[in-house]
Amino acid sequence: MTAATAMTIARAAGAIAWANLVRLFRDRTNVFFVVIFPIVLIMVLGLSFGSGFRPPLGVVNGDGGPRATELVRALEAAGHRIVPVSGDAEARDAVEHGRLSGALIVPAGYDRALRAYTPVTLALIGRDEPAAHRLGAALNAVVTRVTMPARAAAYARSAGVSGGFDELVARAEAAPAPGVTVAVSAAGAAGPSPLGGYEVAATSQLLLFMFLTSLNAASAVIETRSLGISRRMYAAPVPVGVILLGEAAGRVAVALLQGLVIMAGSALLFGVRWGDPAGAALLLVAFALVSGGAAMLLGAAARTGQQANALGLLLALGLAAAGGAMAPLEFFPAPMRLLAHVTPHAWALDGFAELLRGDAGLAGVLPQLGVLTGYAAALLALGAWRLRAALTR
Amino acid sequence: MAQDEILRCHELRKAFGDLVAVADVGFAIAAGETYGLLGPNGAGKTTTISMIAGILDRDGGEVLVCGRPHGPSSTWGKRRIGYVPQELALYPDLTARENLRFFARLHGLGRAEARRRIDEVLAVVGLTGRAEDAVKEFSGGMKRRLNLGVGLLHRPPLLILDEPTAGVDPQSRNAILESVAALAGEGTAILYTTHYMEEAERLCDRIGILDLGRIRAEGTRRELVALVGELDRITLTVEGPRVVPSLQALPEVRAATGHEGRVEVMVEDAGRALPRVLGAATDAGVTVRAVEVHEPNLESVFLHLTGKALRD
Ligand SMILES: Nc1ncnc2c1ncn2[C@@H]1O[C@H](COP(=O)(O)OP(=O)(O)O)[C@@H](O)[C@H]1O
Ligand SMILES: [Mg+2]
Repeated sequence: MTAATAMTIARAAGAIAWANLVRLFRDRTNVFFVVIFPIVLIMVLGLSFGSGFRPPLGVVNGDGGPRATELVRALEAAGHRIVPVSGDAEARDAVEHGRLSGALIVPAGYDRALRAYTPVTLALIGRDEPAAHRLGAALNAVVTRVTMPARAAAYARSAGVSGGFDELVARAEAAPAPGVTVAVSAAGAAGPSPLGGYEVAATSQLLLFMFLTSLNAASAVIETRSLGISRRMYAAPVPVGVILLGEAAGRVAVALLQGLVIMAGSALLFGVRWGDPAGAALLLVAFALVSGGAAMLLGAAARTGQQANALGLLLALGLAAAGGAMAPLEFFPAPMRLLAHVTPHAWALDGFAELLRGDAGLAGVLPQLGVLTGYAAALLALGAWRLRAALTR
Repeated sequence: MAQDEILRCHELRKAFGDLVAVADVGFAIAAGETYGLLGPNGAGKTTTISMIAGILDRDGGEVLVCGRPHGPSSTWGKRRIGYVPQELALYPDLTARENLRFFARLHGLGRAEARRRIDEVLAVVGLTGRAEDAVKEFSGGMKRRLNLGVGLLHRPPLLILDEPTAGVDPQSRNAILESVAALAGEGTAILYTTHYMEEAERLCDRIGILDLGRIRAEGTRRELVALVGELDRITLTVEGPRVVPSLQALPEVRAATGHEGRVEVMVEDAGRALPRVLGAATDAGVTVRAVEVHEPNLESVFLHLTGKALRD
């Protein structure tokens, strides 16, 4: 291929792709649907998922005495986000529905029991998952530290030291105690850490909207055909392959643009860190190719623009729901999670999750990139084949 | 091949399933010549033109553009053809200039050259003042003119126009016809299809009369009219039952067709045949409201050759 031929091809394909982009935004409502709507949706979803995606700790303070209050303050000081809860039943319900990471029950009579030197049990309601056990250990440490003076007072009394409870506690608190602390150092990689609310919202909306916008713009292909513009393109001195390349580039450009808007918008507005730049860029491009390929196939196969729009909406929402781009895949039962990986969305989500957790680089997402590239190649080939038939008929 | 022959095609054939749309079509056009394909809707004009432009695979025949074989995969030939389709192949939401730029890029024009040609073309089709307006705001005539303009961008030696005046106001039609005549004057070979006899008569140096996918006759207007011989055409405006069969039965009548109260009758000598024609009409029980007698024209030629009117 000579430089002049390459130039001609680039000019023609570029013109077709450019016309697609310009026409998309000539319709002002698309500015809303491509730019404003997804960002607002990410904000709403991100807020509702909460920061860190870790719900607060509920505390049922059934006692309300000074020692109970001291305990709650200490928990807060240790960095726990505390929400007061009025009763056990309410606490249990909130934990079950994920609104609380757990609930600590401080029973009535807590204060009195401490003063009477009798043992007390604090119940912790948590789900049966590793996070709940970690929470239990963390709470145990705080409780042990806070109640240490009371234990010392109990020991002093049994050793025959005279004085009331408050006096003994005060003396224990004042006594210099040789402490033992554990210094933690890590070896090996950490297990998967949960993603933040905005991160979950941004990745899922990224994939949902890239696919949706791309399929929605597929009606442009049909319009181009029905207006007779594709026939006229075919009359121009460009091989039909270049026309197909241009249409494919146009479809991919639309998806890519939508992806960039969401990536940049969520990074700037909500502080989402997309992780390794090369990995994120390649995942974005790979998913844009998948979306563009699907749009090309839809645009070639559908008969009317309305048909394409209806089918596109159905496909975009259906695949997003099945692939975990609406409700996180963690909420799916295991067999459904497996089935979800029939969709390219699930693979892209896995890839972005790897990157967002911050420890995976480009190499970590190679399997996902491979699968997405396979989808893209198949869809683009099918789309080109169908569109070629429609153009030269 | 003649020195200045731009297009030659012969034995073009195309069938859509059982329907033979183009049966055996061939003609040649020289530089500066305007060739008209005249025929009613469905005659096969668009199919013929599409095969020549290289956007439709042909079942048979050959096309030569500037002496070289041409077909759908020949970009060499497509560089030399300006194709103006029957439909308004324009992006309605882009401006006139954006549409022109789009097709200029497809034709491989560089940025500077494209800008210069776009300004020239806008002037030719009289849209300089509306260049920045979206095409969807244009009148039918303005869209037609822009549609023509797109085909001129790359200065093609062969311009193919498929019914370029369909559905436009008389003013735009006139403007389009004048542009086409001017282009022919500059040496462009023009293939012009129409079902308007007046356009073919006014514009075309030679005319091929196309019906049911075949060229029934070809020549200059004078040559074609001579085919009809000394036949005159009588137009009757009538009211009442069908009169055509009884007119066709008259020995003086060569051909007769009727549509919506208008009856066209071809006769050797209008002066002698008129009383018999009127008598037959009266006998058939129809009321004759008006009678016109015409010199032979392409309408008569078409009627003579195919037994039907050009527009029905
Ligand atoms: N793509 C097609 N498929 C089937 N039939 C077609 C197709 N294109 C044209 N035809 C038929 O071929 C005949 C000639 O059509 P066309 O070339 O468009 O005529 P014209 O341009 O003279 O009006 C018509 O009967 C038309 O219905
Ligand atoms: Mg036609």
